[in-house]
Amino acid sequence: MMQKYRLDKKGYINRKKIISFKFNGKKYFGYEGDTLASALLANGIHLVGRSFKYHRPRGFIGAGVDEPNAKVQLYNKEAKNEPNVLATEVELVEGLTAKSQNCWPSVSFDFGAINNLFSKFFPAGFYYKTFMWPKNFWYRIYEPIIRKAAGLGVAPLKPDPDRYEHKFEYCDVLVAGSGPAGISTALAAAKNGAKVILAEEKPRFGGSLLSDEVTIGNKNGKDWADESISQLKSMPNVIVKNRSQVFGYYDHNMMVMIEKTKDHLENPTKFIPRQRLWYIRAKEVVISTGSIERPLVFANNDRPGIMLASAAKEYMKVYGVLVGKKPIIFTNNDSAYDCAIEFKKNGIDPLVLDIRKNSDSSIVKEAKNLNIKIKFSHGVANSKGHLRVNLATIGKLNNSKSSYENLENVSCDCICVSGNWTPTVHLSSQSGNKLKFNDKIDAFIPNQSRQNETTIGSASGAFTLKKSLEDGFSKGYEISKKITGKDTKSSPPTSNERSSEEHDKFWCMPLPKGKHYKRFVDFQNDVAVSDIELAVREGFRSIEHVKRYTTLGMATDQGKTSNLNGLQLVSNVEKKIVPEVGHTTFRPPYNPVTIGAIVGREVGKNYRPTRKSPMHSWHEKNNAVFVDAGLWLRPRYYKQSNETLSDAAIREATNVRNNVGVCDVTSLGKIDIKGADSAEFLNRVYTNAWMKLPVGKSRYGVMLREDGIVFDDGTTTRISENHFHMTTTTAQAVNILAHLEYYLQVVWPELDVNVLSTTEQWAGAAIAGPNSRDLMGKLFPSLDVSNEALPFMGFKEEDLFGVPARIFRISFSGELAYEINVESGYGIFMWEKIMELGKEMNIEPYGTEALSTLRIEMGHVAGSEIDGRVISSDLSLEGMLSKKKDFIGKRSLNREAFLDPDREKIVGVIPLDRKTMIPEGSHLVKDNKSSLPNPKLGHISASCWSVEYNNPFSLAILKEGKKRIGEKLYALSPLKNKSIPVEIVSSHYVDPKGERVRS
Amino acid sequence: MLEIKCPYCGKRSQNEFSYGGDASVKRPALEKEISDKEWDDFVYFRKNPRGKHLELWHHVSGCRQWFKVSRDTTTHEIYKTSKINEE
Amino acid sequence: MQKYSIFSLIKNAFTNHENWEVAWKDPEPKKEYDVVIVGGGGHGLATAYYLAKEHKITNVAILEKGWIGGGNVGRNTTILRSNYMWDANGLFYEYGMKLWENLSQELNYNVMYSPRGIINLAHSDAQLNTYSRRGNSMRLNGIDAMMLGRDELKKMIPFADFSSSARFPIFGGLMQPRGGTARHDAVAWGYARQADSMGVDIIQHCEVTGFEVQNGKIKSVQTSRGNIQTKKVGLCVAGSTSLLAEKLNMKLPIESHVLQACVSEPVKPFLDHVVTFGAGHFYCSQSDKGEMVMGGDLDGYNSYAQRGNLPTLQHVLSEGVAMFPNLSRLKMLRTWGGIMDMSMDGSPIIDKTHIEGLYLNCGWCYGGFKATPVSGWTFAYTIAQDQPHDLNSKFKLNRFSSGHLIDEKGVGTKTWIG
Repeated sequence: MMQKYRLDKKGYINRKKIISFKFNGKKYFGYEGDTLASALLANGIHLVGRSFKYHRPRGFIGAGVDEPNAKVQLYNKEAKNEPNVLATEVELVEGLTAKSQNCWPSVSFDFGAINNLFSKFFPAGFYYKTFMWPKNFWYRIYEPIIRKAAGLGVAPLKPDPDRYEHKFEYCDVLVAGSGPAGISTALAAAKNGAKVILAEEKPRFGGSLLSDEVTIGNKNGKDWADESISQLKSMPNVIVKNRSQVFGYYDHNMMVMIEKTKDHLENPTKFIPRQRLWYIRAKEVVISTGSIERPLVFANNDRPGIMLASAAKEYMKVYGVLVGKKPIIFTNNDSAYDCAIEFKKNGIDPLVLDIRKNSDSSIVKEAKNLNIKIKFSHGVANSKGHLRVNLATIGKLNNSKSSYENLENVSCDCICVSGNWTPTVHLSSQSGNKLKFNDKIDAFIPNQSRQNETTIGSASGAFTLKKSLEDGFSKGYEISKKITGKDTKSSPPTSNERSSEEHDKFWCMPLPKGKHYKRFVDFQNDVAVSDIELAVREGFRSIEHVKRYTTLGMATDQGKTSNLNGLQLVSNVEKKIVPEVGHTTFRPPYNPVTIGAIVGREVGKNYRPTRKSPMHSWHEKNNAVFVDAGLWLRPRYYKQSNETLSDAAIREATNVRNNVGVCDVTSLGKIDIKGADSAEFLNRVYTNAWMKLPVGKSRYGVMLREDGIVFDDGTTTRISENHFHMTTTTAQAVNILAHLEYYLQVVWPELDVNVLSTTEQWAGAAIAGPNSRDLMGKLFPSLDVSNEALPFMGFKEEDLFGVPARIFRISFSGELAYEINVESGYGIFMWEKIMELGKEMNIEPYGTEALSTLRIEMGHVAGSEIDGRVISSDLSLEGMLSKKKDFIGKRSLNREAFLDPDREKIVGVIPLDRKTMIPEGSHLVKDNKSSLPNPKLGHISASCWSVEYNNPFSLAILKEGKKRIGEKLYALSPLKNKSIPVEIVSSHYVDPKGERVRS
Repeated sequence: MLEIKCPYCGKRSQNEFSYGGDASVKRPALEKEISDKEWDDFVYFRKNPRGKHLELWHHVSGCRQWFKVSRDTTTHEIYKTSKINEE
Repeated sequence: MQKYSIFSLIKNAFTNHENWEVAWKDPEPKKEYDVVIVGGGGHGLATAYYLAKEHKITNVAILEKGWIGGGNVGRNTTILRSNYMWDANGLFYEYGMKLWENLSQELNYNVMYSPRGIINLAHSDAQLNTYSRRGNSMRLNGIDAMMLGRDELKKMIPFADFSSSARFPIFGGLMQPRGGTARHDAVAWGYARQADSMGVDIIQHCEVTGFEVQNGKIKSVQTSRGNIQTKKVGLCVAGSTSLLAEKLNMKLPIESHVLQACVSEPVKPFLDHVVTFGAGHFYCSQSDKGEMVMGGDLDGYNSYAQRGNLPTLQHVLSEGVAMFPNLSRLKMLRTWGGIMDMSMDGSPIIDKTHIEGLYLNCGWCYGGFKATPVSGWTFAYTIAQDQPHDLNSKFKLNRFSSGHLIDEKGVGTKTWIG
């Protein structure tokens, strides 16, 4: 139960609840309210992982999202493993099991560390200069070795058992960050009637107030924060969210926030999502995201135990954890003195090294009064200690700070560094705000807003509490007034804080004379000062080149602690000022976001909607095997005993040819067209003539795109003078409706026509086969179904046993056929009636496979021919191109390539042996033995077993197709290793004169 | 995600709409004699400006009306939306 | 020029890497060049390199508005392939694959060409047939392709969704074994370094502001760093082609659209191929650093902003999780956007223009990175010989008027549908 580094009575953890957890196989204890990081530090553990490239031992640098090193693997029940989790972000729960990453066999003894010994040979970009010989070795030898070393954690390979939710929200003011500035804004805006969302990424609200020694009003900072949050929570116009990070600022003030809802719970209820993604459209966004401390850079500055001073302070104040008992505080500014004073108050004597020559600020005076040992003009030159820092070589800097006047070794167990503060400008920059460089703090701050955003507090470079509170209250009031029109102004409370003086711009310590130690800028990616210098030396001078060549800022922390130091280094080497060098682009997400949370509920069967016909349950009960047709599920065949697909398709198609079959055609697109100009409109959208179509008749039509390519085909029926019923293919239904609406609304608004999708309103059944007329007679006893009364392409409306039905005598199968439509709700009634009355005629349902067989041997085109690349004549549909009128796409048909007499044409193809099925996707060639490339004459678009002739038959789109009828070619499918001698025939293989449909 | 003001329904998020391309392209009148170049300009050639772009959007998951949007192609800022017959 | 090798690396280690030369110089622009290439991206750099190497034209300037390699060559998903159906594309990209195979050695720069195989998953028999048409076409053009069944795929990518809860089950796939990836930045830098060493001037931070055309002939290029005389100008500015064309009073069959990509945090490699999802538009590979590199659809409206919106990524990643359900627990680390020259038939344009001495290289849609070597090679030929090579003879600008379109996808002129 010993937590050797835990302070008594300090921090905001719940000491009543002890939590056990495992790290690298060993059991430890912490408290509720700990992070994995604070609990490990309480147990004296700094060594947490290994760096990416050199496998150097690494410890905690920070206490939050800025942490570059402490990425661990979490092991959970089922497939709930998670790689690359920040130990500084994981809240401790009972039984948590974590392991170090990127090391083998263990974090304290890692074979990969051999890379560190040879690090001299692995400078930035070394891999571009080698591994080139012999050729092919890269892929076969070198790359596999490099890949073995790649990655950090281990990805789970099983599906994610957790679920994620999305939420959409609108608000007047979104405040990102609940430090003093954020809370003030939220209070002022909410009191002025605005709908406010306040988001805090950490479990605790308050930001810097959690660890700063300040008072607001007459309370200490933390109490003021707590009270303010309770007040906000009690207001109906405010949403207050912790564990919620706004990670993206997108167009039109769309903010995206990720809320962690589950992993911190010990016994989550069953239906709680793991995370919730919030899309928030905010009228105004206030960015109060605070700032991140920068490390100081010196030789071997990456050893475990070397961390940010602010983090050390946070561990003491928030978690009651000492990060060491022999601390060195190394700083170029006043803020680190907070940390030193906190150590001192807890009975630990720190040594402060301050790069500055002196400082007279109140905080330094306070430190001096506490007898804290301070060495001005001093810094850390080097550190030692294999798995934990145990020695610092410190020295007095000469006047130019280019070398040391003396060096001495000081033993220590941690070095807390502070290189001043970098405002967290990510969201402002993502919004399109062009940042400007603030010379006073050596960092970029937001400049001109492009969207409705305001940055305040230390995120704007204002590092005093007073200013944060003032700005928060005034901005909250101003912004809310603009939106709500109300005028309730609240004024900021008084506050007390330690004053501070300017920092020293110096941050990169010289190397001890004659030494070539690495000084790390980017910890996770092992980018050292020498790497950046090398990049510039080699001409990679743009900051983007430096970033890409050295991988600076490209690790999982995205350079939160390293980018600015890297930038300053480049500007030093290039002898430019920082704004001339510029900065790399800030892109969402601010922090890595779980992919499952972005996806939300569109997973598994819900990846896309499933559309089912009203008769779906009947198909299921009758052994239908379904096929995806776009979003629709359609019966492909109805399986009997142990039939194969092809057996079933032959049986079903044969039954249509011999008796009668019924097919569910509900998925066909249906569009209702009404209005005085409907016929004129159809005349424009179809290639053939429509003005004279009589009422009660259907007609087949082909539509083109404006570029002359065939778009879709279908039949349209004139129901009454000004009322038509259009059908489209299943695939194009949605596009055709938008296409028609476009022409009606944009191009020809003068036409009096309305269109409406009725695909889902009608259930459709196609009844096909020589017995279909008999069946129709039974289904509609009072209707005259004779060829004279209801001829081919005829249309009738009639009751089906009391249910209003539409009857179309149209045929896709080439047989005598009808299509019946009833309102969707009666679909199943219709279908069962058809099956019941058709029984004596040997009716069988048929699926899409038999449907294909029937249409292929008839030479009817479908989606496999109308593939978005053919023109009418390719499909032998040129006869349907009206010469008397203009129509969509007609003007394109005079293009040179479209008039080429040698263009492709649809033909039929039969294997010479009358046995071998020709695989779809085969190509037709003259010479099956030709050297490659073998000139292709055409391709097989569709194949079937002709039930009429009992041999295979295919359709093909073939160059000079019509001329080649009778010619012998080869159908080649090298993928299937097939070469089939074939004969070209007419595409109309069965009933070429079309007598059956008219019979 | 863009926020688009449908002239018929009001402000809605982009996922209710589908894009329809350059609205300055006008389809030549039917039956009109035009040069090949005029036709090609209509079918294929686009100004593709950086900055202000007049374009069509379709409120597919709403009122199903096509309308015009004046939008900046660099910042994605929407200056104005209007009905087809409005300026 | 210093030769890069393991030996030079070791040698330089002992002088603390202080003696490495610059990879390319930073010259002031001269008054006149034989050829000016506008655009210091992959295609521009490759064009200059092949002009110098294949055609001995070395008095060449590359003018780059920003920093070289900063456009789409530095923001793509690094996929290489020649798995095209139409001959014009297939034969062109296949020549490109042959150039890729030797590129590291030729440039003395490790571009990390990794022929790890690209697999297009199919989710229905109909889709398998469509893929067969393409795969057979590839084979008949001498390009490697093979069909994979569901069981073979289960062995290769067992973490893909082969379960009964898949909305669109995997039926099989088409694989091009020689397809793969390369390190994108290295391609730009490798070409730049060699071009520079042969005398090409790489001029960064030099924006082209206009052109001088006299009697139908190009005379000079106006830039932010002065006027540059030249008789030949090659435009390699995919993404911004229309903007420069406007300065020449040309309208093109192109729209600019933003395409986003993203990477996950690095994890230990589990995916050794490039895999594309057939029931949507998603592609994925795993980099040598361990990051899952992912991309998909356009944001779907004209854009010159190198930034997109989250719903597009949500859509793309939903496809990713539908394909590889285990991606769900990984974290998306970084997203970015690039501007695509979306041509009206989905294929590029490499051609002369009606202005003598002005050459066009544009319309790369999603596919520009893999074309970098062959685009540079054929464009250099076209500029040097003042006529297209056989390989790019079909990528004419006037094909839109003549109807000789090269439409791989069959979606027509709605470029934003992709």
